[in-house]
Amino acid sequence: MNMALKHTADATTVEEGLAIQEEQARFDSKAATEVAMQNTLLTPRFYTTDFDELDAIDVTPVRADWDALIARMEADPNKGHFKKNADWDAVDWDGMEPQLRKEFIDFLISSCTAEFSGCVLYKEMKRRGANRDITQLFQLMARDEARHAGFINDALREAGVAVNLGFLTQKKKYTYFRPKFIYYATYLSEKIGYARYITIFRHLEAHPEHRFHPIFKWFREWCNDEFSHGEAFALLMKTDPKLTSGINVWWIKFFLTAVYATMHVRDHQRPAFHAALGVDPDWYGHEVFTKTSQISKQIFPITLDIDHRRWHRGLKRLQAANADLAQARAGKGLGARLRGLGAQARAAAAFVDLLTIPAKRHAVPASTRLEPAY
Amino acid sequence: MGLLTREIERAPCTVEVSHCFDSLHAHVRFDNGAVIHPGDEVKVHGPEIMAPYGEVVRETREATIVRASRLERLWTRLTGDFEVMELCEFSFSEEVTL
Repeated sequence: MNMALKHTADATTVEEGLAIQEEQARFDSKAATEVAMQNTLLTPRFYTTDFDELDAIDVTPVRADWDALIARMEADPNKGHFKKNADWDAVDWDGMEPQLRKEFIDFLISSCTAEFSGCVLYKEMKRRGANRDITQLFQLMARDEARHAGFINDALREAGVAVNLGFLTQKKKYTYFRPKFIYYATYLSEKIGYARYITIFRHLEAHPEHRFHPIFKWFREWCNDEFSHGEAFALLMKTDPKLTSGINVWWIKFFLTAVYATMHVRDHQRPAFHAALGVDPDWYGHEVFTKTSQISKQIFPITLDIDHRRWHRGLKRLQAANADLAQARAGKGLGARLRGLGAQARAAAAFVDLLTIPAKRHAVPASTRLEPAY
Repeated sequence: MGLLTREIERAPCTVEVSHCFDSLHAHVRFDNGAVIHPGDEVKVHGPEIMAPYGEVVRETREATIVRASRLERLWTRLTGDFEVMELCEFSFSEEVTL
């Protein structure tokens, strides 16, 4: 632990004065290194939720599965994994093609922010909760997210990008999400994260010549953590059948559609990244949706019909509308505003088109538990 | 708590920033047990807390909590859900071009 730096004037003995000076010098040299780096302020959001509702969760119906999952997370099999070893090859950042470099750094910063925000959210839920099962789970997940964030941060430092954690002293407003929306969104986020990482990992196993950075070698263990977190949210949802029936099935469809569609749009905005990996984003998207749908059958009674003729068309329309919207926003004048409004209307229509594709219904198994198998 | 008025309170807090390889995190804990509600704003006073790489910094600070009015709290509860997609990670920022 690092105490706040004292000034030498506060020293009462010579020894203390020297020690303070030495500490100051150490701090200064580090500070100088940090200044030379490109500074990126992490800006996580802050959330509250209905903590009483969280505390009321009773995991008794899934107790056996729950205890086994928590025991494994506590045993922490990935503890030693996030360390750089001989597999961490030197990265030629200066030789990297500039557009790829930009997109890859965007990938690292976005991933680091996401892990970091996950950590903030889970820690808040841990701290505010009173239900031992729930607080224990969120503590373990916060640990994993902070560890992933630290690992990505290290890769960023190599690239000359320093993350700045100074956001704490800025004004922060706390927003509010209903617990069930947190379950749907984070469950899907964790599971789609698993599917995304494992798909890239397996692709690079077959095509190692496309592995332009060593971090991809760590994707398998990384995504196994994501998988476990998703398992925990599946068990949480399993404790209350109402969460996956009735009107909530519509919410599930909404979240599935929104998450898949957003992923499609974001991936297509990073062509250099995917080209360097030797991955066609359309193929990749379909692979990831297929895996995520297969996994989410563990708890959701529906999956999206991603082979429907309107699916791919809708995604393409949404992507085009989104690109036009960004272009219009960059422009000035009435013409640009009208084009922006038109693009917004087209994006909304494309999303509704996707949302109204009939979903596939299926029976949900009695036990939700799955193991990563891809 | 008023329907439209905001109240301001100060609370001692402990800030922990870890800038380590095994954990990158930053948390604020209110030492007097103050609880944050939807729409409240929190500001920790003092200079930016910068942990040098490889270190964990823990400091006692004071924070101001601007309590949302009753109306604001209700509004945040009703509309916060619209932003829930923020919880999903997609590996990339939303910028269309870089």
